[in-house]
Amino acid sequence: MGLTAFARLAAKAPAPVFVARGANARSLAFELSGTGDVVLTQTPRHACVLLATGAFPDSMVPALRQIHDQMSHPRGVVLAGAHFRGHGPRGVFSDPVVVTPEGDVHDAVVVLHRDLILGRRPSAPPLLPDRDPTPWRGVGPYGQGGKGMTGGTPYGRPLAGLADDRDGLKLDALELRLGPFLPMFPPGLTLTIKLQGDVVQQARVGDNPFRTDERVSVGARSSVFVRALSGPVTIRELEHARAAHHLERVGEALRAAGLGALGERADRLAANIERVEAAAVRRLHRLLRRSRTLAWATSGVGRLEPDRVAGRGLGLVARACGLPEDLRTQDGAYNELGFSPLVEGGGDACARWRLRLAEVAQSLLLASAAGTRTTGGTGSVESPWGSISSDHAPVGSLLELLPGMLEGSDWGDVITTIVSLDLDLEEAART
Amino acid sequence: MSAAHGAALIVFSLGLCAGLAVCAPGRGTATAPERTPYLGGYAPETHAWSRFHVRYYGMALLFLAFDMEMVFMYPWAVVFAEEGMIAFVEMLMFIVILLLGILYAWRERALAWA
Amino acid sequence: MTTPLPLWLAPAVVASVLAPAVYLTWVLDRWVGARVAGRRTSLGQTLASPLAEAAQLMLQSSPRAERPDRVTWLLAPASLSGLAVVAVATVPLGPMLHIADAPGGIVLFGAAIALVMVAVFLHGWSANSLFPLMGGYRFIALALSFEMPLALVLIAAALPAESLRFSDIVQSQVDVWNVVRQPLGLPLYLIATLGASFWGPLAFPDAPDLAGGTTAESSGAALLVWTAARYALLVALCAVGAAVFLGGWLGPGLPGPIWLAFKTAGLVATVVVIGHHVARVRLEDFVVVAWTVLIPLALVDVFLSGLLVL
Repeated sequence: MGLTAFARLAAKAPAPVFVARGANARSLAFELSGTGDVVLTQTPRHACVLLATGAFPDSMVPALRQIHDQMSHPRGVVLAGAHFRGHGPRGVFSDPVVVTPEGDVHDAVVVLHRDLILGRRPSAPPLLPDRDPTPWRGVGPYGQGGKGMTGGTPYGRPLAGLADDRDGLKLDALELRLGPFLPMFPPGLTLTIKLQGDVVQQARVGDNPFRTDERVSVGARSSVFVRALSGPVTIRELEHARAAHHLERVGEALRAAGLGALGERADRLAANIERVEAAAVRRLHRLLRRSRTLAWATSGVGRLEPDRVAGRGLGLVARACGLPEDLRTQDGAYNELGFSPLVEGGGDACARWRLRLAEVAQSLLLASAAGTRTTGGTGSVESPWGSISSDHAPVGSLLELLPGMLEGSDWGDVITTIVSLDLDLEEAART
Repeated sequence: MSAAHGAALIVFSLGLCAGLAVCAPGRGTATAPERTPYLGGYAPETHAWSRFHVRYYGMALLFLAFDMEMVFMYPWAVVFAEEGMIAFVEMLMFIVILLLGILYAWRERALAWA
Repeated sequence: MTTPLPLWLAPAVVASVLAPAVYLTWVLDRWVGARVAGRRTSLGQTLASPLAEAAQLMLQSSPRAERPDRVTWLLAPASLSGLAVVAVATVPLGPMLHIADAPGGIVLFGAAIALVMVAVFLHGWSANSLFPLMGGYRFIALALSFEMPLALVLIAAALPAESLRFSDIVQSQVDVWNVVRQPLGLPLYLIATLGASFWGPLAFPDAPDLAGGTTAESSGAALLVWTAARYALLVALCAVGAAVFLGGWLGPGLPGPIWLAFKTAGLVATVVVIGHHVARVRLEDFVVVAWTVLIPLALVDVFLSGLLVL
């Protein structure tokens, strides 16, 4: 009796959700953050519901199962537009709740959470076999047993080895494979990094899991920018999509900077982009500029020199280095609207979030002035990632530049850099 | 030890015990994969424990010097008004020397580490 | 000089003061967060949210991490709550209502805050996992930087009182509050408060860029204890701030404890609002600023206050 009252109280708490995103993931920003009864967690340990959305190539499935097992009990799975090659959804998870494309993800999450807390639904059992990766083999020269931390060898996994340090010292280097389900990484990104202390000595970008010959996604990517490659689309639709895209990236940067509530506000603007006034975006911009710390924390971080980005069609990243590269200047319809590209100096993460917000406001003004004008069909389009064509994805160039930008930075700067660059692996896999 | 210290000790112990009482029970069994450290989907190859490169060691050493100075300042603060100008000047000299130390450390970039 | 409460009553008083304060701080944090996000929430929902979240965490399992340091894994959240409680207990609630008003009050409080460093580091260390570990080491750098300004501004406040006892420091503000007399004190203390409770711009150890940092591997009841202890720590820091800089229980009309509660609430609200509006800075930048700007300013504060006393 007492316990049920307690459980009923607990069921009123916001549902802690960990989101795992694959390719062509459903944009969940608005669906989840409207009412405050869902909260996105930073680690699966805190979550009660695993929400998987998008197409997961085979290479991502083991990691997906791993984070499922890392969730605490009671736990459950919601699949919203999730696709797995070879096996249906039930081949990956034991008893998931499947939301149809028309279905309401928010309601599914809330209902599952309540059922789990109230005990109406059993907690999902572990998916992976209970096998210790490094079983105890006893103390002695042939087991790896021992006692103590630095004095002996603790059992379990081996210890990290020594490596030369940037300061000329010899200290342990941890070699780690991070991702693809880290909330501050873009979907699918894995990084193999060598860490000494919290500074990255070496970074390597893992294989793009979305670049497979399996066509896992249902239908090709339906983004308006890709459609504009082959046929005309209205400027209004294109600019709204651009504004929403940039706002979501700003939201991610704000979350990584510890401003979860402001990030949610950016998401909300993105979800309602067709009704948003440029003034609301400017208000957000002004708020961020006034607190000053975001600019302080991001300036000089993830800097790219103009000569390394020039001529690669990197769009916003190039414009944040002061290069006015924008395909829209060659478009008659945009010229009629009086379009001229915005630029920022600096080429760092700070210039990029500032420019993103400025371009959101610009796109909203363009969209409202565009009327029925159309653009596209010329084989190349200025997308949020830069100038794309059917055989060129500029994100690939950024992924090549990434290791050089990360080496020597501390972990905080690594994340600031990654969230500022908009590394869309699915877009990189398009060509 | 005064009654105040006794009270401090008692509330500390009770706060500690309350914390332990809440989180000690209810540690269920977990499979090995459930206990694997979270790195975004892959398991680590090694222990996280390592000879971690604490890059701010220069600053930590500087802190030691200042921490000692703080120990002198507590009793100084109590007798300050009685002793008057002498206490003021003595401590000022001491602090100025330490501040020169910070200035030197800062110039040598001992505080920054990247 | 003052009659302390009987020892057996101390825990009851601390609990009855701290529990509502933690609850209200938690509510305020959720409410401000919803406002900043532009989300509509009903008052009932906001008032129920801490209780519901706590109940949910109590029902969640907290599996052991892989090969953790078991003793400290268990002790870290509990010791943070113990330290937060003892820090609250040092604050005199009214002219005759003291729990642990030690003759060396600011030393006792400073010791509790210094030990927070140990609790946070062990929380990060014990899980034997990368992100918590990095969070723990980050906090050491942060703590070594805010510790000095924190102690120095408290010493400056002790100069006019000629005592390290909190109730004497409050008494010394009968004519003019320290916030006026020592204008540098409160701003520096608030920055140290952000650091000691690792809040907002100084929320390094549990930051989202570390997937929750020292909390990345914890869940359930242990996470609840950690979260509640952090709110309690914030309350303790703000209560001390109110006592040292805003005249504590002094005020016309209302009983002393009410005045202290109002002043503490004002400081808590300031910190919570900052937490939702001000982005986290770079740790390295903060360390440099702490040593080259904040510590010298705190020393200036000490010597100017000294000159005023003479």
